[in-house]
Amino acid sequence: MIDLRNQAAIVGFGYVPFGKRGQYADQGHLRLVVEAVTAACADAGITPADVDGYSSYYTPIDPPELFEAFGAKQLRYTAQTWGGGGASMCGAFQNAAMAVATGAADYVVVHKVMTMEAGARYGQAFGQMGQGIPTIGGPFQYSVPYGLQAPGQMFALAARRHMHLYGTTTEQYAHVTMHAREMAVNNPEARFRTPITIEDHHASQMIADPLRLFDFCMETDYGCAVVITSAERAQDCPHPPAYITAAGVGAPFRFGNALMSFYNQPDEDFASSGQRAVAQELYRMAGMGIADMDVAMVYDHFTPMVITSLEDFGFCAKGEGGPYVEDGNLGLDGPLPVNPHGGNLAEAYTHGMTHVNEAVRQIRGTAINQIPGATNVLVVGGAGPSPTSGMILTGSPS
Amino acid sequence: MSEAMPGLPGPRPDPTSEGYWLAAGRGALVVQRCAACGVDRHPPTEVCYACGSLDWSWEPHSGLATVYSYTWVERPIHPGLAALGSYNTTVVELDGTNGVVRILSRITDLEREELVVGLPVEVHFDPAGDGVALPVFRPQRGVPAA
Repeated sequence: MIDLRNQAAIVGFGYVPFGKRGQYADQGHLRLVVEAVTAACADAGITPADVDGYSSYYTPIDPPELFEAFGAKQLRYTAQTWGGGGASMCGAFQNAAMAVATGAADYVVVHKVMTMEAGARYGQAFGQMGQGIPTIGGPFQYSVPYGLQAPGQMFALAARRHMHLYGTTTEQYAHVTMHAREMAVNNPEARFRTPITIEDHHASQMIADPLRLFDFCMETDYGCAVVITSAERAQDCPHPPAYITAAGVGAPFRFGNALMSFYNQPDEDFASSGQRAVAQELYRMAGMGIADMDVAMVYDHFTPMVITSLEDFGFCAKGEGGPYVEDGNLGLDGPLPVNPHGGNLAEAYTHGMTHVNEAVRQIRGTAINQIPGATNVLVVGGAGPSPTSGMILTGSPS
Repeated sequence: MSEAMPGLPGPRPDPTSEGYWLAAGRGALVVQRCAACGVDRHPPTEVCYACGSLDWSWEPHSGLATVYSYTWVERPIHPGLAALGSYNTTVVELDGTNGVVRILSRITDLEREELVVGLPVEVHFDPAGDGVALPVFRPQRGVPAA
């Protein structure tokens, strides 16, 4: 069996300045992606015409369009993983790593771009499908007629069950947002840099009980791109490589369409981020465990799903995620610092790409809230539609 | 379209789901049961997750269930729902099935503070047009929460 450990590396990343919802709507997605890929390639010491592979987890700009846009000589590899939103984000890096490690391509780009047209909201992702029509078919026939129309409402069901089983509290949710704000205070690119209190959190509007506005991440217009190449080629790139030690996607038993309208997974997985299976697989592939990590990037679209991700990935025991965040363990001086850039809740919401950027910065030693000597970084994909995903990056491929 | 949830679309039955929705339209809750291994499942699908069989039947169910999880939607997406103020969407676990069967639904006929995980509920039906109805649930009066 081929061992993919540290055979590929992230050698460049780039992005356009984060915009508020709708800020870039009139620019078009192609322009944003081209700018992001160009910046990522400059960071990697190559040109966009050198890119011969594209790997994605949903994007409005397909590989042939980019290949054409950059006038590249030859397109050699394309891949797409499933999952929706940022659930499978690390799967795109897994596919990229396999491509460059096997020689299917020399330089693979993972990109993600999103702008919101006037009036569009992420929170209405499913609700819009249910407007102005007499009936609805497909999987949404079981949910939209009952008024379950938005991701926040769906995650509220998992959150409520977690509260019931383990006594998790909304004060503990608040601590997740408070931590994100604290991390963002000195990040000039972050949108929300003002610290908040539990009282501020509880004063924010209730949207889908038990979730309040401050339990939701923001909406961001963005374009992000990352360059992956083989460990061998990475030696010629200008920055220290962030080697991909392991990356994968997965789902536990009966979690196929979980959180959408399928609710039959075992109790411990219902009240989870659905990441137990991928976490086990990731640690097996890496030959590492949570104790080997120096810093972690945890997808934080909804505060209770951060708590359940921590449990799924073994930061703490099942059911103890609430007390874990309440006790301040996410901080820079905690046992395993989480999202030193401020994450989706405070910096920007880019469906996971900014978590990868920060992981690379930590390995390069260039982060604003730098963890001294950070070498091994855990990246956790979004909870939600299966498969979800995870990745371990390292600066020291021993 | 359900009168209880103004503006929302009703379910559009397909060849696999129509047995479920049309039974509800007649006032009966049915569960899809695998013809080979007897395991029950929901939502309706062509394949048994337990044994892979493509054959099934519709099994009548008592309509008794227990609240598994819920949310109160305070900021509805659909403008037609604004008049409701807030409403719940609730996952119930059906009693007495072969294997876990949970259904997303709504609990009616109760005050907000009465809705708790473990509440015993019973089915009734909310007509949604074209001979179909939405199974919804209400508290089993006199039966305390588990």
